[in-house]
Amino acid sequence: MQTNFSPEQLTDPGTARANEILRTCVHCGFCTATCPTYQILGDELDSPRGRIYLIKDMLENNRTPDEKTVKHVDRCLSCLACMTTCPSGVHYMHLVDHAREYINDNYKRPWHDRALRWVLARILPYPGRFRLALLGAKIARPLRGLVPDARLRAMLDMAPAQVPPVSRNDDAQVFPAKGPRKKRVALMTGCAQRALNTDINDATIRLLTRMGCEVVIAKGQGCCGALTHHMGKTSESHATAARNIAAFMAEVRGDGLDAVVINTSGCGTTVKDYGHMFRNEPLAEDAATIAGLARDVSEVLADLDLPKGRDTGIRVAYHAACSLQHGQKIKDAPKALLRQAGFKVSEPENSHLCCGSAGTYNLMQPELSGELKRRKVETLEAKRPDVIAAGNIGCMMQIGSGTGIPVVHSVELLDWATGGPMPPAISGNRAPGHTPGAAKGDVPNLRGAP
Amino acid sequence: MEMPAPNAAILSRKTQIVERLRTVLPADAVIADAAETRAYECDALTAYRCPPMAAVLPANTAEVAAVLKICHEEGVPVVPRGSGTSLAGGALPTADCVILGVSKMNAVLETDYENRFIRVQTGRTNLSVTGAVEEEDFFYAPDPSSQLACAIAGNVAMNSGGAHCLKYGVTTNNLLGVTMVTMDGEVMELGGAHLDAGGLDLLGVICGSEGQLGVVTEATLRILRKPEGARPVLMGFDSNETAGACVSDIIKAGILPVAIEFMDRPIIEICENFAKAGYPQCEALLIVEVEGSDAEIDDQLSRISAIARTHNPVELRESTSAAESAAIWLGRKSAFGAVGQVADYMCLDGTIPVSTLPRVLKGIEALSEQYGLKVGNVFHAGDGNMHPLIMFDANKPGDLELCEAMGADILRLCVEVGGCLTGEHGVGIEKRDLMGDQYTPQDLAAQMAVKDVFDPAWLLNPAKVFPLDSSQQHRIAAE
Amino acid sequence: MADVMLRPVDEADLAHAISSADGPLRITGGGTRTLVHVAGTPLDTSGLTGMELYEPGAMTLVVRAGTPLAEVEALLATENQRLAFEPPNFAPVLGRPGQSTIGGVVAANASGPRRLQAGACRDAMLGVRFVDGAGTIIKNGGRVMKNVTGYDLVKLLSGSNGTLGVLSEVSLKVLPTPEAEATLIFEGQTVSAAVDTLCDAMGTPFDVTGAAYVAAGKKTAIRVEGLSASVTYRQAELQRGVAAGFEVLEGASSAALWADIRDLAPFVGRTGDLWRASMKPTDAPGLIGALDDAGIGHDAILDWSGGLVSLLVTDGRRAGGELIRAHVAACGGHATCLRGDHRAYPPQSPGVARLEAGLRARFDPRGILNPGLMEA
Repeated sequence: MQTNFSPEQLTDPGTARANEILRTCVHCGFCTATCPTYQILGDELDSPRGRIYLIKDMLENNRTPDEKTVKHVDRCLSCLACMTTCPSGVHYMHLVDHAREYINDNYKRPWHDRALRWVLARILPYPGRFRLALLGAKIARPLRGLVPDARLRAMLDMAPAQVPPVSRNDDAQVFPAKGPRKKRVALMTGCAQRALNTDINDATIRLLTRMGCEVVIAKGQGCCGALTHHMGKTSESHATAARNIAAFMAEVRGDGLDAVVINTSGCGTTVKDYGHMFRNEPLAEDAATIAGLARDVSEVLADLDLPKGRDTGIRVAYHAACSLQHGQKIKDAPKALLRQAGFKVSEPENSHLCCGSAGTYNLMQPELSGELKRRKVETLEAKRPDVIAAGNIGCMMQIGSGTGIPVVHSVELLDWATGGPMPPAISGNRAPGHTPGAAKGDVPNLRGAP
Repeated sequence: MEMPAPNAAILSRKTQIVERLRTVLPADAVIADAAETRAYECDALTAYRCPPMAAVLPANTAEVAAVLKICHEEGVPVVPRGSGTSLAGGALPTADCVILGVSKMNAVLETDYENRFIRVQTGRTNLSVTGAVEEEDFFYAPDPSSQLACAIAGNVAMNSGGAHCLKYGVTTNNLLGVTMVTMDGEVMELGGAHLDAGGLDLLGVICGSEGQLGVVTEATLRILRKPEGARPVLMGFDSNETAGACVSDIIKAGILPVAIEFMDRPIIEICENFAKAGYPQCEALLIVEVEGSDAEIDDQLSRISAIARTHNPVELRESTSAAESAAIWLGRKSAFGAVGQVADYMCLDGTIPVSTLPRVLKGIEALSEQYGLKVGNVFHAGDGNMHPLIMFDANKPGDLELCEAMGADILRLCVEVGGCLTGEHGVGIEKRDLMGDQYTPQDLAAQMAVKDVFDPAWLLNPAKVFPLDSSQQHRIAAE
Repeated sequence: MADVMLRPVDEADLAHAISSADGPLRITGGGTRTLVHVAGTPLDTSGLTGMELYEPGAMTLVVRAGTPLAEVEALLATENQRLAFEPPNFAPVLGRPGQSTIGGVVAANASGPRRLQAGACRDAMLGVRFVDGAGTIIKNGGRVMKNVTGYDLVKLLSGSNGTLGVLSEVSLKVLPTPEAEATLIFEGQTVSAAVDTLCDAMGTPFDVTGAAYVAAGKKTAIRVEGLSASVTYRQAELQRGVAAGFEVLEGASSAALWADIRDLAPFVGRTGDLWRASMKPTDAPGLIGALDDAGIGHDAILDWSGGLVSLLVTDGRRAGGELIRAHVAACGGHATCLRGDHRAYPPQSPGVARLEAGLRARFDPRGILNPGLMEA
């Protein structure tokens, strides 16, 4: 597609990259077909192609973002289904990230919008603060009817009914491999996930050590930067990402690492992009090193000869997180692992579509998010599964809030099938989602299955 | 591309017109803000752009009728739009028009497997029509390469084809009926679930009329049971002539493949670099696909291969599995994306008699040298539908004009050898001024007479299909 | 006036005949299909003969409109090709002496049993040349397989029975004649059981090219064609599935059966009104049942899986005709009267009728081409 940038504009590396991306787009419109918001709204402006056009126009003219442009860019889930679909390899992720940064720097949002974003950016990435907020939300939930803003109500709704106690497994330490050590890996323990659900890291550590990995919880790690990155708050996201890079590099330079394992695919997509984020900064080389070591937990497990489990007969509906299937192009590994472990795996219709979680999207765009959740839960339940599995905490929370079927992380099932405990979400010992009153324990056919 | 001067009187009444539209549609279905209308300024032919006065997104036939009634009363041109995937600029707006997008209208209205039809709202995408019936092992046959995204509305407007039309035909052969709204807002039914017209074949003339006769809001489509299987054979030849002769021999032998795809050397190279499909480096590649049970496929492929062998292929690879089939199709299916990575391109769509293929390819090569622009050819060889891709640099001043001139010369060549300007993309804006090369003024007058009957004021999808001066004369005469 | 007959020998001659006509023209090809007697000077197109182009490797035939159908079919047979839409010959059933022309076939959009798989005559049409009511020579479409250049007047002219223009040349897609054919046949099904079977057969992946039911003898027939091994395989699969208990007819006897169905041979030489009703296949048994219930004497041949019902109404002709029209219209289809004291063509909705009238007014401003023939 033709672009109109002046040579001066192109001296800015962000603009230069945007130009490069825009030039590869041929405006064919294929992306509209798999864009979740276009599926709901049917408006070109709420499709990747329309957003690309809005962004192009804004950047070419150095235009102050207007309310309409911001509205349509904000509606983007960053699910990246469009990148899977695009026949021309348009790097939409880098373009929309750049646009978000541009909007953040050049657009003054209404005060309540700013306040909400400020709060989210200062709470979600910090497990301690987030945990306190969740406890607060639990107390406040009975008052939800008095809350005027739909987004604030969405926040209250998303808070789990039970907030797990802090897991000491997430403290800096080293878990030795069971048996001969095959790999030495760092586990990125994440931020929001640590406050919402401690079962996932626990299961990941058990599973990886059982499979012969020495698992390092690196000192000083924290949020990967994804949450603030997607809000266009570049300075915040780079600061947290830089801390993470430093924490992992200390291990790389120390006893060495075979991989940085990530079990929250939303984070994985961002960590794998560190090289690009820091390409023009002094940290470029370290960032590229960590990006190169970053692996989704399913990628690491695929290398580790998971033992073939006996047929459990348990029906698992696998929900492909967008960050996994589109962001990291990991489509088959999680399903293959679950089958290998003895589960009956199915995928819902339109598995390419987002569940509406998308980081903080469910908080910022509750209506669209709610509709996507409704559609996703409907297609998942149509598979009549015993349990729903996903590889991303955000999706688990989102789907869990719309169904009575237990929702677990794939590693919890793999851990269970290879000798670990039954996932608490199935046994009823603890709920991963929060739907009040949902009978989590009512799955007798699963008890003690593998 | 010259467009008619926008009607200042209409533009001056924009506020009132938009207000009226808001009385019949929900607020978010009327888009009139300049920041937002820009996204509707073109379809997949980005060389020509013009933001519309407004865009509307009705949700059903009644809303479409209400919109058209208002526009008719206000004298406002209306440009219907499906998914905006036209390569011919079929949905290019004029500055004084209302874009009528059917993208919110994507429901399945009726599915009938016994009588083998499905009725859908026309905003539904081509592939999702098949998606709605594939659980019962049925499919909708026309498969334009944009089928993932293109809407049935656009398919009907352009009479879209696809790679498999050699066996299954194009849209018009699979369209049983439509609900259509004429420009004055009258809703009518043409055809239905039965075959053939009781009177004049109006359905036949609606299909392919590029949205100029009415807005098709619902369509009844023939669905077919999926074949038991399909597999291709890949053949490489050392000349275009040999590949062309091989196609003719296959057809003369009485074998009717479902698809015969042809790629020339420039395309083979670009696709191979992009998709790594394992294609041989040669002058011409054919992918010939047949359908049936495994044994039937083996029977047909062995006959086809035997014919190919008489032409000394440099490569002959019969697929024996789904994975091998996918590998063979991989390069071809990524052709447009692959070229898009290398350059901006303009995709032409002329059809030629298959026997003239070598002559036309030589002619294109000569034009390529003359204009200094690279061309690659993908080609539905069974039916003569060519897709020369002219590569250029949209950011280089003058390159687009060069590309347009060369494209026009290629299309004239297609007409000269007995072919036509467009096989499946439609005339749109892109080829309207070449219509005189294929048709006499009398031929065109007969087509415009149809327009006079359906849309006497010439408000629907203006300035397309016919040379601008002739369509302008009709518009003026109407006023 | 009746003793004058116009018989142009080329397109220019045809154009002159029309432009200089001072009154209505009754256009005929071989005179085998015209349903309504139109008053006017006969304009006989049988002088416009000859093949313009035949390229078997491109499956393309261009031929002048007055060329006899039999000649066209003989020519194609030399290259082992054929008209896939299987045009019927109604001369025997309508008691007409002439021989059908290709232009007449196109003007009537006449298609036989294979229509439901291979498409109608209009679907095989690539291009036309015709002369409109003002005497202007017009071409539309061309000789290539895929062509969306401008409006599709080819479809509009196909089936317009000469009321929009007189065809001078037609260009057609032809197809290879398959190696083998076979018909699965069963005697004794009721009409509704037969339609169920036919619909089931059409829902298989075996490319069924004929699906018919002949009421006299209660014969259900399903045809497959293709490479010999395919035909053997498909007939066996059908027998194993939807056509259990069916007998097999092969080769010439299969071909003869379908020629009879195509040409309505069981009705030849019998008196009664002749109707053709086009509707959803599953609506056909309801029509037959309604005629039975009303005590209308009739015989029926169902083709196109039931989607085309040919009726010979032998008793209660007036009431039968009214019932057929009303019943079929209520099902969303249409019925044409081939012979009988009824209007030949079905009435149209007001909107469609207005558009049709508008088109006739534009293509035939003087109203001289088969005037009134298609008007209900």
